[in-house]
Amino acid sequence: MLRNSFARLSGARLKSCEKGSATASVTLRPEHAGANGTAHGGLLTTLMDSSLAIALRELRGEGASLHSSIEMNASFLAEARPGDELTIEARISHLGENVAFGEAQARRRADGELIAIARVTFAIQQP
Amino acid sequence: MSENTGDGRQQSPFVGLIGARQEEFGEGYVRLSLLLEERHTNPNGVMHGGVITTLMDEALGGVIASVRGMQAMQEAPHSTVEMNVSFMAAARPGDEIIVEGRLLKAGRSVAFGEAEARRRGEDGLVAKGRFVFLIPPKRQ
Repeated sequence: MLRNSFARLSGARLKSCEKGSATASVTLRPEHAGANGTAHGGLLTTLMDSSLAIALRELRGEGASLHSSIEMNASFLAEARPGDELTIEARISHLGENVAFGEAQARRRADGELIAIARVTFAIQQP
Repeated sequence: MSENTGDGRQQSPFVGLIGARQEEFGEGYVRLSLLLEERHTNPNGVMHGGVITTLMDEALGGVIASVRGMQAMQEAPHSTVEMNVSFMAAARPGDEIIVEGRLLKAGRSVAFGEAEARRRGEDGLVAKGRFVFLIPPKRQ
């Protein structure tokens, strides 16, 4: 289960996390859908954002100051539907003093199809 | 849960889960609102960015529907292909967030929209997004 209230709404599970990377999975339910019956873009961005924030937390350590997303670019490549199981993989590509950058992707587990990709920039709060 | 938004369109089930309300649906303009609760937060105690991307995506999906018309939309539903969102300020439980979506351009196969999020009654932006939607060719 992801460690924050909002991502928990989705029923996603955190599969693994280590310094700078995290993997989560979610089985899509009808309440995850948009108006056209496929996974809502907001669900995918939520899970990619959360997975990256967790990967960054693991990298920076529990005692480190807060970080928050300031910019997100997401591309949606294929549709996913209720019943599909998605794997979200997040990786921090660079950690600087003031900002960090990460990339995440969501794939359908059954056939490996790439559903969405995202790049997120985090601001690191100065202690 | 999905509720009728009053314009013949069904609200997304995922947006129903979050609890947002549609306040206005006009041609090329849609406004949603959400009173933030604890369940909308991240571990920092502020609104999760995913709440904003969800509401912007939903508002703009509605904006594109408003200019395409319900019948065209049902025949060939459009979908988000790209979003860029900047998060400019934090929002907390108790804040009421307003998201406004506006059409930039609707072409035959793609449409562009932008969305802004603010606290109700305030001028400053909480977030700003630009979205691209794909309009599939009509099924024969």
